[in-house]
Amino acid sequence: MGNLTTKIIGVITAVLIFVSLYLVFGYARVEGTMLEVQKIFYYHVSAALTVFVAFGVNCVFSIKYLIQRKPNDDLLAVAAAELGIIFCTIALLSGPIWARYAWNTWWNWEARLTSTLVLWLMYVGYFILRSALTDDKRRIYSAVLGIIAYLDVPIVYYAVDIWQGGLHPDRGTKWSLEATMRYTWMVTLLALIMLFVYLLIVRYRMKKAQMRYEIIQQKYLREAA
Amino acid sequence: MRKFVLASFVAVLGLYLFATQIPVSITSDKVAAAVSDAISESEVPVDEDIVEKGVLRSLEILEAGQRTRLTYLFAAYIVIWLVFMLYVLRLEQQQQLLDQRIAQLEK
Repeated sequence: MGNLTTKIIGVITAVLIFVSLYLVFGYARVEGTMLEVQKIFYYHVSAALTVFVAFGVNCVFSIKYLIQRKPNDDLLAVAAAELGIIFCTIALLSGPIWARYAWNTWWNWEARLTSTLVLWLMYVGYFILRSALTDDKRRIYSAVLGIIAYLDVPIVYYAVDIWQGGLHPDRGTKWSLEATMRYTWMVTLLALIMLFVYLLIVRYRMKKAQMRYEIIQQKYLREAA
Repeated sequence: MRKFVLASFVAVLGLYLFATQIPVSITSDKVAAAVSDAISESEVPVDEDIVEKGVLRSLEILEAGQRTRLTYLFAAYIVIWLVFMLYVLRLEQQQQLLDQRIAQLEK
């Protein structure tokens, strides 16, 4: 992907973020029960759904790496996992603030919260594993772990259906929102997915440059020896 | 990228400040005017002082509730933007380090 395309994606992302902020605070109706606090929903839920996209990209490129053994696929998988952790951290930090007001507690060990925390921990483990191994082993083992960790994503998504009686609302609630709220949420989701795509490109390029640097450095060291 | 994140952070801050100004638009003059309007429309005799005190107390409660809600809302968005900002700053730091190393290697 060329520099111009990346810049265009960056500009579109920036515009979408500002538009989403305007929609959240200036356009979307204030919800009747939780009033202003409900506006946390737009970024909290969008970040949580972007996590699924990020870890999905990680899973796809992990599988691709195991089949084709191309280092670039591994780099893309790592970049996506890193961004997935960032978005998951956002969901895990903004959620308790909302929960404190809505449920009168910062944390509750209900199915969706617990499975999301497990998901976050698994991808933290993914990076711990990568830092503990070298080269090929690192790539192969982390690709396998990436695929296994992704199995938790459907568990997080369907947690409210599997373990009923939790504090989170049903999966379809967001689609039955009032029109201004629904449009705002859709724009925010698009903005965060675009942000993910943009940061993924930036991070992938950095990782690629880092890999090239390491190859040249090793070659230079071998020649010097 | 850092400029964009900072600008959006300022936007969130600005929106919060704007939102917190909303209760200020309900002044005691407006309350007094509303109370006298309500009393003049009333068909039974009403004690103006008691009604005014009741309305002012209700407003205080409503404003305090709104302040609490806006604090939670603001805290959540600050946390979200802090995570983005820290990540972007870390990316820039890594990029600078990489550029330095590459320049060193070229020398």
